[in-house]
Amino acid sequence: MKKNLYRLLSAVFLMALPAAALADTSVDSATIFRFSQDSRPGFQKKDFTPATQFLGADFEKLGDGNLSLHLYGWGRYDLADKSYNNDRADGALTYAYAQYRTDQANGLIRFGRFFINEGIVNEHVDGLNVRSDLPLGFGISAFGGATVHTVHMPGEITDGKGDGLVGGRLHYRYKGMLELGVSGVYESDAPALNQASNQQLAASGRFGSHRLLGGDVWLNPHRMVEIMGHSSYNAETEGVAEHSYLLNVKPLKDLVLTGEFNEYRDRDLFFSSIFFAGLLDNLNDRSRTMGGRASYELNRMVEISGDFKHFTREIGKADRFGGDIRFALLDKALRTGVGYHYLRASRNFAVAPSASGSFHEARAYAMHDTKSYFAAVDAIGYFFKENINNKSSAWEVTGSLGCRLTPALALSGDVSYGKNPQFVDDMKGLIRLTYNMNYTGKGGTK
Amino acid sequence: MVQIALLAAMVPLAACSWMFSPETSLPGRHPFDLGEGRALCGECHEGRIKGVGKPFASFSHSPEFVRNHRLRAARDEQVCVLCHHGSFCNDCHAGKTEIKPSVKLGNRPDRELIHRGDYVSLHMIDGKSDPTSCYRCHGRANNEKCAACHRGGGRR
Repeated sequence: MKKNLYRLLSAVFLMALPAAALADTSVDSATIFRFSQDSRPGFQKKDFTPATQFLGADFEKLGDGNLSLHLYGWGRYDLADKSYNNDRADGALTYAYAQYRTDQANGLIRFGRFFINEGIVNEHVDGLNVRSDLPLGFGISAFGGATVHTVHMPGEITDGKGDGLVGGRLHYRYKGMLELGVSGVYESDAPALNQASNQQLAASGRFGSHRLLGGDVWLNPHRMVEIMGHSSYNAETEGVAEHSYLLNVKPLKDLVLTGEFNEYRDRDLFFSSIFFAGLLDNLNDRSRTMGGRASYELNRMVEISGDFKHFTREIGKADRFGGDIRFALLDKALRTGVGYHYLRASRNFAVAPSASGSFHEARAYAMHDTKSYFAAVDAIGYFFKENINNKSSAWEVTGSLGCRLTPALALSGDVSYGKNPQFVDDMKGLIRLTYNMNYTGKGGTK
Repeated sequence: MVQIALLAAMVPLAACSWMFSPETSLPGRHPFDLGEGRALCGECHEGRIKGVGKPFASFSHSPEFVRNHRLRAARDEQVCVLCHHGSFCNDCHAGKTEIKPSVKLGNRPDRELIHRGDYVSLHMIDGKSDPTSCYRCHGRANNEKCAACHRGGGRR
């Protein structure tokens, strides 16, 4: 089925090429050469020079003006030692789909490989998606097709996903005040596993098929107040997997006060992930995070925010708090910012039982972006309350310098240097050639 | 073949056209390029977005919006695509990728990107304090690098 689908996709794009020459076209390309060396006592020295090409294109206003084609993917080839896995070359087709939008009802038909993000549903599909608004404030979206599989898990010939899936969302909107949605996804049976430890996960009810139902809400009872969120239910484990809700209050035009509440039940949430089911010992845990944030735009040049988050798990608790200041000067050509956060964590969250899980995080950056050149410097440091691997901190400074060869074509290079618990010296570099062209002048270049 | 597939899908839809909302669709793209920096929709637009019903100001890219954009994108993707191509989202959200967003976009420190600096050390603490934050991206995809060390069991 997949082979036929790929053939069909290729045919779609080949047929579209002549029309694409006449369409509104955007191209987004980045060619990146990375350079690093791994030199550790007792190990063979390795030089890594992976070359990676990211390429995206969007052809809009095809046919009667409502048809468009979209594709994006990447490929990597190692010019020196193997950099990542056992393959010298690798790549992925992230999305490739044809889309037809209707003039009314926000109708849409998508066919090909795409991400679907509706209510509680987040899936990567080779298939079909249809969406439309209906009368009386209702709307519907439905999708179905083949699951996009990723890399096999170690010792398995599967990534743990079923081969096909269907799902969708039904929503109701009332007078710009309320939106309610119900959504769900049904994936075909989870695959059989080879390894005894993984078979045990399935047998003990820690791993299984991906089948979720959920509801979401958006509420705007007053112009200053906005509430949104969703809850999901795992139909396989018959348990609530997630509650995630957000309250925004805007007492002033440029002041946003936010409160959030999230609760997760690990077994119900992680059930269809073979990786997470095997990773966590205690899947009966219930995680909860609660927090708040205040952000204020002093003027068009200065933005201040402060935030706090409390994490609760059965194995411990943590608090993270801090703030950021961002500046946009010289008509946004100079953008800079500083930030500080502290994570105060229980010992059980530490890297090693004898260590502390607490650390300070500080960051400062600046970038200058003009029509002819751009430059950036970014420094980030993590300062541990107690040493990790006999190191008190992990820090990194990255400098980037580039020039615009044309308004769309830019060449830039980055160098970063740091010290951390993993490496005595950590120095990396890259060269980047980007081409971002929007032939329509509409929307954004990305 | 594709035309036949599209026609096959369109025929029943046309026959049931009375079932669809008569409201005009949102445009496919914003009428002009918004330039660099975070978009503040409420700066130029007042009231509500027709067909979506939510205030323009609700989509202004405040720090809160950037942090919690997932809740809006899950409901109003047609507003996001007015300015963003899918590739913008895929800088971070991809089923399979191997370059950290902050490395791929090392020339853009102004963008809110995850895992800056030496995240290899930090992930052990973040992963224990909130494993669900890892799960969203690495749960069912994009976990090849994770699995290289975490081959099952032994973590909380």
